[in-house]
Amino acid sequence: MSEANSSAPAIKVEGLWQVFGERASAALREAQAAHDGPAIAENLIGKGLIPAVRDANFEVRAGELFVIMGLSGSGKSTLIRCISRLVEPTAGAVHVDGEDILKASEKRLIDLRRRKLGMVFQHFGLFPHMSVADNVGFPLKMQGAGKKERRKRALEVIELVGLQGREDAYPRELSGGQRQRVGIARSLAVNPDIWFLDEPFSALDPLIRRQLQDEFLNIQATLKKSIVFITHDITEALKLADRIAIMKDGEIVQIGTPEEIVLRPVNDYVAEFSKDVAKGRHACVESVMLKEIPEHMPDDPGLRVGMTLDTALAKCMSLYEPVPVHDRDGKLVGAVQPADLAAALQVDEA
Amino acid sequence: MSLSLTRGAQAAVLVLVVAVLCRLLGGQFEWLVGWPTALTVPMTEWMGAVVGGFLSIFKPIARGFSFALSFPMNWVSWLLGQAPWPLVVGSVTALGWWIGGLRLAALGFFGLGFVVLSGYWAESMNTLALVVVSVPLALISGLAIGILAFEVPRLKGAVQALLDIMQTVPTFAYLTPLLVLFGFGPVVGLIASAIYAAPPMARNVLLGLERVEPEIREAAVMSGGTRRQQLFLVEIPAATTQIMIGVNQCLMAALSMVIIAAVIGGFDDIGWEVLLTMRKALFGQAFLAGLVIVVFAIVIDRMSGALALPRARQNKQIVWGLFGAGAAVAVWSVVAGWNPDGVAMFDGVADRVDAGVGAFTADHGATLDALKNNVMFYGLLPLRIGLADAVLPFTWGFKWTAQHSAVFFGIAAVIAALLAWRGRLAAGAIVMLLALMLEIGIAQLPWPVVIIGAGALGWVSGGWKLTRLVVILLGLVLISGLWERALLSLYLSGASVVSCAVVGGLLGLWAAVSPMAWRVIRPVCDLLQTIPLFVFLIPVLMFFQIGEFSAYLAICLYAIVPMIRYTRHGLTTTPEEMIEAAQASGAGKWQTMFEVRAPYAAPTILLGLNQTILYAFAMLVIAALIGTTGLGQSIYLALGQADVGLGITAGAAMAILALVADRLVQGFAEERRRALGL
Repeated sequence: MSEANSSAPAIKVEGLWQVFGERASAALREAQAAHDGPAIAENLIGKGLIPAVRDANFEVRAGELFVIMGLSGSGKSTLIRCISRLVEPTAGAVHVDGEDILKASEKRLIDLRRRKLGMVFQHFGLFPHMSVADNVGFPLKMQGAGKKERRKRALEVIELVGLQGREDAYPRELSGGQRQRVGIARSLAVNPDIWFLDEPFSALDPLIRRQLQDEFLNIQATLKKSIVFITHDITEALKLADRIAIMKDGEIVQIGTPEEIVLRPVNDYVAEFSKDVAKGRHACVESVMLKEIPEHMPDDPGLRVGMTLDTALAKCMSLYEPVPVHDRDGKLVGAVQPADLAAALQVDEA
Repeated sequence: MSLSLTRGAQAAVLVLVVAVLCRLLGGQFEWLVGWPTALTVPMTEWMGAVVGGFLSIFKPIARGFSFALSFPMNWVSWLLGQAPWPLVVGSVTALGWWIGGLRLAALGFFGLGFVVLSGYWAESMNTLALVVVSVPLALISGLAIGILAFEVPRLKGAVQALLDIMQTVPTFAYLTPLLVLFGFGPVVGLIASAIYAAPPMARNVLLGLERVEPEIREAAVMSGGTRRQQLFLVEIPAATTQIMIGVNQCLMAALSMVIIAAVIGGFDDIGWEVLLTMRKALFGQAFLAGLVIVVFAIVIDRMSGALALPRARQNKQIVWGLFGAGAAVAVWSVVAGWNPDGVAMFDGVADRVDAGVGAFTADHGATLDALKNNVMFYGLLPLRIGLADAVLPFTWGFKWTAQHSAVFFGIAAVIAALLAWRGRLAAGAIVMLLALMLEIGIAQLPWPVVIIGAGALGWVSGGWKLTRLVVILLGLVLISGLWERALLSLYLSGASVVSCAVVGGLLGLWAAVSPMAWRVIRPVCDLLQTIPLFVFLIPVLMFFQIGEFSAYLAICLYAIVPMIRYTRHGLTTTPEEMIEAAQASGAGKWQTMFEVRAPYAAPTILLGLNQTILYAFAMLVIAALIGTTGLGQSIYLALGQADVGLGITAGAAMAILALVADRLVQGFAEERRRALGL
């Protein structure tokens, strides 16, 4: 999202800590005064406290789909609850459109949630005693909207998620996939700018999951929300994300585009995730271009900038000499050794 | 003692040593057996003075409250009393249809029809009036307490302790102070039943709110609801199922208490009718009135129970139609001047029941007496006063002598030694202890044995903290001068609990292996749990007259149900995978039962035992009506004499016994659950 770069970030998280335990806030302040870096967390653990989120720093640009990926217990769910202030973080700042929501009053917070923030939950969090339309209209009811208006808007969003005709059903009468559609519709009812999704597709079976991912991308393509999306599934992260943050033990270990995560993991932990991922689908020829363009290139299989490794390799299956890479206008911009293409696709042996 | 001994063995050996010492030295040192009177604190008098003074301060307010409450009470009572019976029957039938269609409508119609025909209509409406006024009070206060405990986490512990106490203090015990506060009359019954019925509601509200999925809660927060909106628009509605279970329990408790409160009299209700006819030994009439109570209990239970289940919407037209039909017949009956009080259609049946029971007891009197005497002589009496005192020429045909004791202990010692030699020291010590207890008798156990024994059990089941609690609580009973009565209560409830555990456990096992058996046992259990405590006394009295044996039977009848239910439940809910793993290893049906199902079920069965103990204590007090000794009797006497001090201390002592038993068994259950990783 290059056009978003210039404007202020939609969400900016600075030095965010979530420590669980007795007198967590004082203990964190002491530890921060006495130590630096990883030693702070170690000090807290030594005192019997649990630092669930450790010094998180990142930005989500306007209209960006930012994915936080980590295994269970890595602190990703706690992190999103800190950003939405469902739990009170121990320290740090969360700016939403420049406003620090950790400092917002209870009243202001309710107002923000009524107008600006939307959230989707892993197990849907639907109200069992309300029909689909009432569930979707609930945030509008909190805004004080009238019955007719709620119904009208609810039907619009229900149609957006493809559930038209089921508006008077109750959650217990719906399948898992349908329930999450309701969850998505509800979170979109007030047309929020910021959209939190906490493992929205993890509880669904694989086929439904893929279908909902595609529809989700379609919705996002038209709505252009600023999104924080939590998942434990690397394939999902790579498929959806503009940028990914990888979390481990409460810490963000790497932030980058899908390609960076796959091709340039900062450590073994990140590399381990992308091990089984078909890199060829996520990385482009640029990532393996030679530093210098050789003079002698007998073959030209027609490689272009932005071509995935898979496609490139298919084009030079029987070639051994370096081949040229052209940009869209046909200008020579670099060269690739076919053997490097194959090597980059090799799944690392752990 | 070497350190390699397990906790259980250490505790058992310690208690055994104390017991042996007490047995040997008891003859020389009187104070080892009974707590010296000189050291007894006059707690009853103190309590009487303190609470009495306290009550007299609040008396004017309470009397005012009582006066204020008497208005809605009288209105409802007048309304129900004046309402033509067809209208009431029609309304209940319509309500039944609205809740659960044809099935519940039929239940309502035939249930109330029976009441009309029984001739107890007026009395029943008086009882219903008490329930109708007390239940909303209980529901509202229960809801408020539940919400408060949920919203203010700091109060939760205190509230739960209070609810525990409200439910363990025997019902009769708090009738006494209420009587002093509010004066005689139906309002006391009303308030007592509201107090008794509020805790189950509060518990279920709290439980329901706690069980609302966190994501549902968070969704309400993220929708921008204020705390009040979250609570009333989302969390409480989402907890409806659990709260409805609370409503059901609340209704049943209120009905039960309203009937018990009849003992203070002053109101012409159905409970009073039972009591009156029972005292006159008109068992046929008592039985009929008891049946009316049971019918009420079943109708109320099934209708309110259905509210907690997901249900289909019923046709409103039929509901209104039924109501209209009732109203139409009502108009006709008023015009025709038809009055159900004169019906008493079953009086003939009652007389015949009377005659039948009379004939039966006359014909089989010898058999019944033999049964009663055998259980008394060979079971209850030795347990109570020990073999040494219970074995007499009159009972066993010979006199127990020191030689008998020697032989008895010798045999026990051999068994104990064998067990110890096989490495089961704890079991050996327990055998010796049981032998000692049987020889001395529970009611005559030296106090150090009881207190140290309970403390040791506490140590094994829950560590030092529990030991401290148990010893302090029992110590209070010891110095209060109620110790002997407490031991008598302990003996009777102990005997009933052991019988219930054995018989109920076996029935539960049977129901677990045979679905056929469960199909028969289940409705019986349902019925026994629906019947108000009071009614249990009627059939027992019919056949065995007043006395300890009748009380024992009534307690067993009531307290056996949880044992059966929990045993079966525990044994049948073993995860399918574990059963399959056992079968794949080649285990047979009974091997699976004892090697896999039983250990897995242990915590559940222990919880059943826990419930059985609490049920037994609850019934013990009611059973005082038909002749038991001990704390129950004291509580009942205190009620008659409006003796607040005795009522409260004896009630507290009873609650302490129940609480101690509850914590000990819970501790073991908790330990088993942890061991199984549940």
